[in-house]
Amino acid sequence: MGTDLRAGVIGPMLTARLAWRNLRRNRRRTWITAATVALAVLLLQLEVATIIGLEGQSKDNLISYQTGHAKVFAAGYFAERDELPLDRAVTDASGLTLRLEAIPGVSAAAPRVVFAAQLSDGRDQVPCTGIGIDLEAGETDVFRIPQAVTAGTFLSAGEPGLLVGGGLAELFGVSPGGWLTVVAKTRQGAYEALELPIVGLVGTGNPDIDRNSFFVPLATARRMLAMDGGATEIAVRFGAAAGEATTLARVRSALAAEPGLEVLGWRDLEQDYLAMATAERISNGIFLGIFVLLGVVGVANTVMLAVFERTREIGMLMALGLRGAGVRRIFVVEGALLGLLGAAVGTALAICLMIPYAAYGLNLTALYGEIDLGYPVRDRLYGAFDGTALVVVWLLTAVLSGFASFYPAMRASRQRPAEALRHV
Amino acid sequence: MSAAARLTDVRKSYRTDHLEVPAVRGVSLEIEAGAFLSIAGPSGSGKTTLLNLLGALDTPTGGTIEIGGLTTDGLSPRQLADFRNTHLGFVFQTFNLIPVLTARENVELPLQLQGIADRGDRRGRVEAILRDVGLGDLMDRRPNELSGGQQQRVAVARALVKGPTLVLADEPTANLDTATAHEIMDLMREMNARAGTTFVFSTHDPLVMDHATRIVRLRDGHVESDERKGADRGH
Repeated sequence: MGTDLRAGVIGPMLTARLAWRNLRRNRRRTWITAATVALAVLLLQLEVATIIGLEGQSKDNLISYQTGHAKVFAAGYFAERDELPLDRAVTDASGLTLRLEAIPGVSAAAPRVVFAAQLSDGRDQVPCTGIGIDLEAGETDVFRIPQAVTAGTFLSAGEPGLLVGGGLAELFGVSPGGWLTVVAKTRQGAYEALELPIVGLVGTGNPDIDRNSFFVPLATARRMLAMDGGATEIAVRFGAAAGEATTLARVRSALAAEPGLEVLGWRDLEQDYLAMATAERISNGIFLGIFVLLGVVGVANTVMLAVFERTREIGMLMALGLRGAGVRRIFVVEGALLGLLGAAVGTALAICLMIPYAAYGLNLTALYGEIDLGYPVRDRLYGAFDGTALVVVWLLTAVLSGFASFYPAMRASRQRPAEALRHV
Repeated sequence: MSAAARLTDVRKSYRTDHLEVPAVRGVSLEIEAGAFLSIAGPSGSGKTTLLNLLGALDTPTGGTIEIGGLTTDGLSPRQLADFRNTHLGFVFQTFNLIPVLTARENVELPLQLQGIADRGDRRGRVEAILRDVGLGDLMDRRPNELSGGQQQRVAVARALVKGPTLVLADEPTANLDTATAHEIMDLMREMNARAGTTFVFSTHDPLVMDHATRIVRLRDGHVESDERKGADRGH
């Protein structure tokens, strides 16, 4: 049985066989070029693993410590969120929380009161964000704040106390057992001050929380701010069974009849972060794209040399009736195969490094000290082992190598057979 | 006897920066089907240029060329490639086999280029022709595992496997010792006699010329003489 053949070009199987054997003709040159591609692909694969890891950890961090999967606000709150307006609050927070928890796909919901405050130790006063959390409702099911406690303990229901971001505590030079005074305006605009003991410190990796926030029990916040029964937001966590988008649509649909409420998913809430992550992706992509381009130019150069060395052979093939397209195909396939080979080596090396990278991570603090990567991640960064990304980078490099070989292939195909046969 | 090829006032000049150098100056020739024709002449007489024109590897600057009743005038590079694919076979001085392919694969190449999809058919024809040229036991060897004579036999098989109208051989024995050169010429003559395939080959070796049934001598791009021998089939 035969394969589908077109007159004037060599069949795909023989073209591939020819390309492979031709690459083995000058093994040293093939391996040097493949090594260049491999190095570029290795770096690219590790960078992709890092970016996917960073984004995955960041998403997990934001959802676990700051946004949940979604938040429900009183209408108009989100537009004025920078002011943290207490007068745009959800009034029946408990009732709404229960209704939210009944929606299929929602695993937990928790009311919070987020307010503008000043923390003071008697000498210095620092503006920051206070967060009242409900220790009796689903707070610990929605967020993972208890797991981020780095010193002291988490808050307890019925016991007024402060859980302070690690960076903020460092600023004041305080630790659990110390005291700080919270100063805030009540819902009616009157100033209220409350001195509270520090029960614990949190380190989430999220600078918004660690350097700028403190937590108090919801009851304490409500009493202090005259927010009886109210909440500025209800945070919601989705279960894993249904997709994020599906559950968000269900929540929106369930509350559609209530114009006094608005529902925002974590992506709506973290547009700034997403814009930053996209910009990082692009800048990293450009940087590494240049690297891969250099590797691919190496492939084009090798194919160009092959075209030059095999000019007479090209002339002979043309004499046999090979069309220009057939000549181009031979060299494009050769370039693509070279890219495929180099990228396979680079990807294999990357997998060897990614296994420990994904399992043990990189200690960023040990490597760089206290630096802000711009991503809300804790001190250890884990590379993501993403099979699809590995295959995409591998194949994309092969395709790019094929494209880069097009120019030398074109030059080969434009020769006149008689001249090519005369070539020495 | 019908003509395998007909050249009418064929000219070819090469243009350098300031000069036009004529290589073939008005050659008219009719090559009858089944001929075993030698184009002879000293270096620079225009032998290779004439063979390239006849082989549609180059285009003339004047005159017309007909092969198998079809003219190559005005054909695009792609049409010329298809024309060569269908009508012509080539044997080169330096064998020009693809070094990474076996003898079998080298000979199969023209059939692939003709779009013959049936692998069994291709293989059958390749094996038959390789046996005919005496390489039945060496089909899976690569060129570097064959002697010069054996490589040229593969080249002859490659030229003949598709049953061309015309086989063109440019100095086919120039890189072979005398004994092997005679063997190759005998082989080509045998193929010519057996299948009636028309052969046109260039040489400046008088011993090789002896095998020809017709000798066209060129000098300075002109036909100097056209000698037919008694053994010429069809005459």
